[in-house]
Amino acid sequence: MKNLKNLNVLIFVLICIISLILPNVEVTKAEDIIIYTKPVKAVSFNHKAHSEDYGISCNICHDKIFQMEALNVEKSNDFNHRSFSKGKYCGACHDGKKGFAMDKQCTKCHIGVKGLNTKAKK
Amino acid sequence: MMQKKFDFDKLEIELPDSISKIERRKFLKMGFAITGLLLGGKILSLTSVVDKGYAFQKEKYPYKPHYSMLIYQNRCIDCELCMEACSKTNQVPSYGYRTTILQRKMPQAIDQQIEFIPVLCNQCNRPPCVTGCPTRATYKDKRNGIVMMINKKCIGCKTCMTACPYNARYYNEEKHAVDKCDFCYGSRLSKGLTTTACAEVCPAGVRIFGDLSDPNSEIFRMVHQLERTIWVLRPESGAAPNVFYTRG
Ligand code: HEC
Ligand code: HEC
Ligand code: HEC
Repeated sequence: MKNLKNLNVLIFVLICIISLILPNVEVTKAEDIIIYTKPVKAVSFNHKAHSEDYGISCNICHDKIFQMEALNVEKSNDFNHRSFSKGKYCGACHDGKKGFAMDKQCTKCHIGVKGLNTKAKK
Repeated sequence: MMQKKFDFDKLEIELPDSISKIERRKFLKMGFAITGLLLGGKILSLTSVVDKGYAFQKEKYPYKPHYSMLIYQNRCIDCELCMEACSKTNQVPSYGYRTTILQRKMPQAIDQQIEFIPVLCNQCNRPPCVTGCPTRATYKDKRNGIVMMINKKCIGCKTCMTACPYNARYYNEEKHAVDKCDFCYGSRLSKGLTTTACAEVCPAGVRIFGDLSDPNSEIFRMVHQLERTIWVLRPESGAAPNVFYTRG
């Protein structure tokens, strides 16, 4: 009987610990794909690909270039190509050296209204 | 070893056999390397489109002004601000459009795999819609080459919609007539403005609107460049369109 009680306590404690950890795990994980609709519709940023596939470490982007909050950067009124060409935001890498340049291949980033609509349907 | 000197004057330029001698000469005279493109995206022909863009051989551009549009296809990002501006400016209902954006997907392509293609009425010099209209509700304006509508003459038979190679017409329930792009003549040009709503609003500089009969206009200078490849949609329709496409 005593052993069983101990087990119950142990399980209770474990559940407490897990439920404490779980939300934290979720908070530090970004959405795989972030879609910007300002200033124009619509640009797709693959967070997962950037942080995992391209092997860029978190601290290169956070918090020097971007905040850890999706769509926060849309609030800045200089989130545009003029800033990018000065090396801000996406332009910090997409200068034709670290990442592909931004003066061509527009639709690699720009999925447009059509891309936005198909994403919304899914 | 002595190298034989190359005679550039006698150099033969290879062109597809399907192009006649006369066409070939004309083509070389114009100096354009031009590819035709079907709406679906198939490359059709190697012909000068500027050559095909006007109806009369003597007079280069039959209208004064000769309104036309050049579209930088690779710059379009499908933000659709042009469609919004057009609908607002010309009271286009949600079920129709005067201009729209087509999308071409090329999953086999390296890098970018989608291309957005803005389309609108091509204000053709030989407009099949005008030829098809039984009541002359649609006609080619002699002043500026724009294909216009007289709503009250339209009986809604939709022959013009079927005839249009560019799918640029829709039936407007409120107007009880077919509606189409008039290069914003009614809403803007006739009021002294110099460009269309779509060209003005485009944040990527995709649409260049202007007078092709004016050698000082931007569109004239862009279209008549040796280095630049210019094409039209569906050249095989023979409609002699006035909307040109390029990349750059
Ligand atoms: C290439 C740059 C880049 C890298 C590398 C990167 N991030 Fe991000 N991250 C972003 C951008 C951009 C946003 C969205 C910011 C915005 O929209 O204002 C973002 C947002 C976030 C968010 C908020 C997501 C949300 O839904 O609110 C979190 C959390 C985050 N990143 C965590 C990480 C972690 C952890 C790593 C490392 C594994 C990482 N990031 C690597 C660019 C990057
Ligand atoms: C820290 C550097 C960095 C930043 C900041 C960054 N990128 Fe990238 N991005 C890369 C690298 C590296 C690649 C992979 C190499 C390449 O394709 O150029 C890449 C690839 C991409 C791709 C190609 C995905 C594909 O289909 O192959 C897109 C799209 C993209 N980035 C969009 C963005 C957008 C939008 C932003 C801004 C919100 C951004 N990137 C910010 C470094 C960065
Ligand atoms: C590396 C990704 C990327 C590429 C490549 C890219 N853009 Fe963008 N673009 C963005 C982002 C991010 C924004 C800002 C977010 C938004 O507007 O949704 C933006 C915004 C814009 C805007 C509105 C803001 C402004 O600067 O005027 C236009 C117009 C634009 N892009 C046009 C283009 C054109 C044209 C090309 C190709 C020549 C292109 N973009 C290529 C990422 C890109």
